[in-house]
Amino acid sequence: MKKKQKVKLLPYFLILPTVIGSVIFSFYPFFKTILSSFSVTDQYGSWQGWAGTTFWKMMFADKAFWQTLGTTMKFAVVIFIGTFFFAMLFALLSTKKTKMGKVSQMLYALPIAVAHATSSVIFRFAIKNGGLLNTWTGTDTAWLADENIAFWIVAIVTIWTHISGSYLYLLAGFRGVPEDIQEAAVVDGASGFTRAVKIMIPMASSQIFFVLFLNILSALKAFTQIRLLTSGGPNGSTTTFMWDIYQRAIDYGEYEYACCLAIVVFVIIFAVTRIQFAFEKKFVHYQ
Amino acid sequence: MKIKAVMFDIFKILLGIVMVSPLILALLVSFMPKSDIMASPLEITLANATFQNYIEGFQYLNLGTYLKNSFVMLIIILPCQLITALAAAYGFSHFNFPGKNVLFAVLLSVMMIPGEVIQITLFKMIVKWRLIDTYAGLTLPSLVGVSAVFLFRQYMQTVPKELREAALIDGCGDIKYFIQILTPLCKTMIVTFSLRAFVNIYNSYMWPYLVTTKDALRTVQTGVAQISMNNHGGITLAAATITSIIPLVVYFFGMDQIVEGMTAGAVKS
Repeated sequence: MKKKQKVKLLPYFLILPTVIGSVIFSFYPFFKTILSSFSVTDQYGSWQGWAGTTFWKMMFADKAFWQTLGTTMKFAVVIFIGTFFFAMLFALLSTKKTKMGKVSQMLYALPIAVAHATSSVIFRFAIKNGGLLNTWTGTDTAWLADENIAFWIVAIVTIWTHISGSYLYLLAGFRGVPEDIQEAAVVDGASGFTRAVKIMIPMASSQIFFVLFLNILSALKAFTQIRLLTSGGPNGSTTTFMWDIYQRAIDYGEYEYACCLAIVVFVIIFAVTRIQFAFEKKFVHYQ
Repeated sequence: MKIKAVMFDIFKILLGIVMVSPLILALLVSFMPKSDIMASPLEITLANATFQNYIEGFQYLNLGTYLKNSFVMLIIILPCQLITALAAAYGFSHFNFPGKNVLFAVLLSVMMIPGEVIQITLFKMIVKWRLIDTYAGLTLPSLVGVSAVFLFRQYMQTVPKELREAALIDGCGDIKYFIQILTPLCKTMIVTFSLRAFVNIYNSYMWPYLVTTKDALRTVQTGVAQISMNNHGGITLAAATITSIIPLVVYFFGMDQIVEGMTAGAVKS
């Protein structure tokens, strides 16, 4: 009798730590974020009273909010197109296993180990005033202070940091295409380009969709490179949601407003993930 | 035909060199003395190459402390995530109990909450608990990881049920089976997960940046960023180079494992 009871309790003990941890550090803060967006809070984020939809109305009426939304969307689109283009190019170039191919493969994959903070620091050295870019172009342009250029610099640094990871996913997908199918296409006289478009890309659709959405999502979550390269400036031209949330919550003491923004980000990410699942169901080719 | 193939290989390698050129640049600059870096116009030259930047990074700046803090973070978080995730995966894959589906749904929905969305609220909690500038503040929110639970559970489900039945008949208890038989079977998954978690934690910036204000508690990434604010490019890039070596080595030796793990998470079986 006693033994039976022990067996019954064991699974609860096994999953208890994970459940408790998730409730305290995921669920609770998530619901507190929602609650706080409708409340007034003190400096510790503790509840002080209801605010109704005050902060939500304030956010939607705020011109800066719409600018941030636009910048974040533009950023996500640029990151995913740029990263996808280069990762795809490198992956298609390394599909065929050759002796020397190992070397180029290693070079394409190497930057995956580089953190966003590290790549930002490296690029900033080249881009800053009196840096290499000035020497090479023979100008004294302050690149990061230029509203039109700063956004693209942040985008390039982000794309560079993302390429290797996406490349490895795509490569794994292409390597998964059965060799007899590839050989059959070669025998049938299909050119390299035709093989890529008609065979490799459809057969690796699962990885391709994954990489596309991975890049959109990580662009939506970008923080480090913005903090280290531009701090959201000049004139808010590189202020995306994560930077806006951080600044309002920590620098400006507008935690409630920041919570509204955080919920908006959650809704966008949630929607993107839903679309990802729907796409996977509909278009992905499983063998 | 052969020449064409060689040309193609050379082209591919040249493209690869362009790809890693920022890293080559960082390496070169890290050996340049201050006088060369401050020169205008700036030129990359190793005419006066020196180790001075590395020496200064460790001697006058807290590079050693940053590395230590990152490793303390890793030593606390990694084993905690592994043990809790393995245990939970065992519970979900090998037992039937009342409330199992509800609890599983709870964990599944945690996956839908991105860490970035709740970051500021977590920060407020850590402030309220007076854990700013402590290892507890750095590590607490990461002690359990739900995605690892799903990774391990998926694998454990493929272990034949007969194995457990045989072990139980031989007098092996549930816990003994978990520790001595099942966990060693998950070795590949554990290594794959650990490698990726290692680099993710080591390379993390936002959370350590939020919860540390003192230099003595800064981790590698926040530390290097701090160095870059107050020092010349040579020292900054020496710090960036030396701290990047660790994840580079992890990826170099664990590349196949990591790629396998990436696709294990990406492809539905």
